[in-house]
Amino acid sequence: MDLSDSVLDHLRHIAALPDLTGTRYDLEAEIGRGGMGVVYSARDRQLDRRVALKILDAALAGEARLIARLEHPAIVPIYETGTLPDGRAFYAMKLVAGARLDHYLARSPSMAERLRVVRRIGEALAYAHTTGAIHRDLKPQNVMVGEFGEVYVMDWGVDAVAGTPGFRAPETLLDQSSDIYSLGALLRFVLPAARLPALAAIAAKAMNAEPAARYPDATALLADIERFQEGLAVEAWSEPRWHQLRRFASRNAVLLWLLAAYAGVKFLLFFLWYL
Amino acid sequence: MDRDTAIGGPHDHFPSTRLSLLEAVSTGLPNEALEHVIALYWKPVYRFIRFKFRKDNEDAKDLTQSFFTSALQRDFFTRFDPAKASFRTYLRMAVERFAASRHAAQNRQKRGGDVQFEPIEDQAVTTESPEQVFEREWQRQLFALALDDLRAHCEASGKQLQLRIFEAYDLAAAERPSYADLAAQHGVAATSVTNYLAWARRTLRDLVTERLRGVTSGERELRQEMRRVWT
Repeated sequence: MDLSDSVLDHLRHIAALPDLTGTRYDLEAEIGRGGMGVVYSARDRQLDRRVALKILDAALAGEARLIARLEHPAIVPIYETGTLPDGRAFYAMKLVAGARLDHYLARSPSMAERLRVVRRIGEALAYAHTTGAIHRDLKPQNVMVGEFGEVYVMDWGVDAVAGTPGFRAPETLLDQSSDIYSLGALLRFVLPAARLPALAAIAAKAMNAEPAARYPDATALLADIERFQEGLAVEAWSEPRWHQLRRFASRNAVLLWLLAAYAGVKFLLFFLWYL
Repeated sequence: MDRDTAIGGPHDHFPSTRLSLLEAVSTGLPNEALEHVIALYWKPVYRFIRFKFRKDNEDAKDLTQSFFTSALQRDFFTRFDPAKASFRTYLRMAVERFAASRHAAQNRQKRGGDVQFEPIEDQAVTTESPEQVFEREWQRQLFALALDDLRAHCEASGKQLQLRIFEAYDLAAAERPSYADLAAQHGVAATSVTNYLAWARRTLRDLVTERLRGVTSGERELRQEMRRVWT
């Protein structure tokens, strides 16, 4: 009997569905997929709550263990890791209610809000690097912004991941410096079309093709963003004189206004004296 | 236009735990390896030749048969290098070279070099390339063989009820019945329908994997092929 195309597609689909026999989860629906796995929503019967389940090739079981070690407010917490009856690995994690970063940006958030999100991502990256973990595929699709503004970086460190064009560093072997490149690409991505030169320079420095010319770590990149937000000169950009003056004026606006007012009053008194 | 042939590869006995293709060859079992290959690839090769070279049913069958006979006689398996391509790609390219050479020779004999293609009505209704047709047929045959294995397994282990429920639901050509309808029809609880379906699907997945194991070079290629098969 020849299988029709529709039956074949159905069989391919159901054969791929995770068999959750022996686990505490009931499958609900597929909510996302990438090159290395599929994510489903599921219900945890014991705790009566919804979770996200990521199903991975058996060879990638190490990813689940690696991610379970990462504990940071901007990294999705892992509740449990395990193996399905068919040998595939899975991990259960917090089901984040919110929007992917690329969808979130469609709501046109303010510059301050955009930079807050990038800083949260950078903090997660800085923490992960201290544990030896590397993300390898940082991109807007792997960042979620929750209903209350919480930021989560997802899909950590799979060796087999080749990265995503536009966000992947050019070097063949990915390391922590490659994550800095991706963070720069992410910063460039979140900036509005009319980019401020200082922020564009920070992104460009992080995305330098030569790893040694990038920021040495995520903390250094975040420090440069912080300097920008405080109106200070950023490391990544040799700003022109006129820009230094404008920045000085902007940072000391109150003082300059007071000086101007003082000079105006003195000028007025000078003329009144001679009248 | 004549219809496609109903001939397929041998469907009879397949061990439950299969050697990989290269293991079978290296342990001196090239015929067994070829048997697994023919079972899965006969139809995809036949369809590929029909579409790519616009052969009629009989010519395509002859060419397909000749290809596998030639593969058995030559060192077809030992020349396969898994570092360069998957076995599926290697076989398709070998078929393409083989059929192109035979096709060209045939046309030289008939017309002194002019290649004439016969129209195939199937091509008028599909936008798929011959390579896509090959891959689609490969998936279709893979599941057809795994379903045969599942039926044999259910028969041998007395799980005919599980099989009937699975066939009624997952092989339904039109609208699928509800779990409640299936439960009432077979006199079991709705939860049993869920469990039976889960068992049959898990077993089918295992059987597909076993079939793939016999036509791939090892774990790495097996996993790559599994990722291509699961949607």
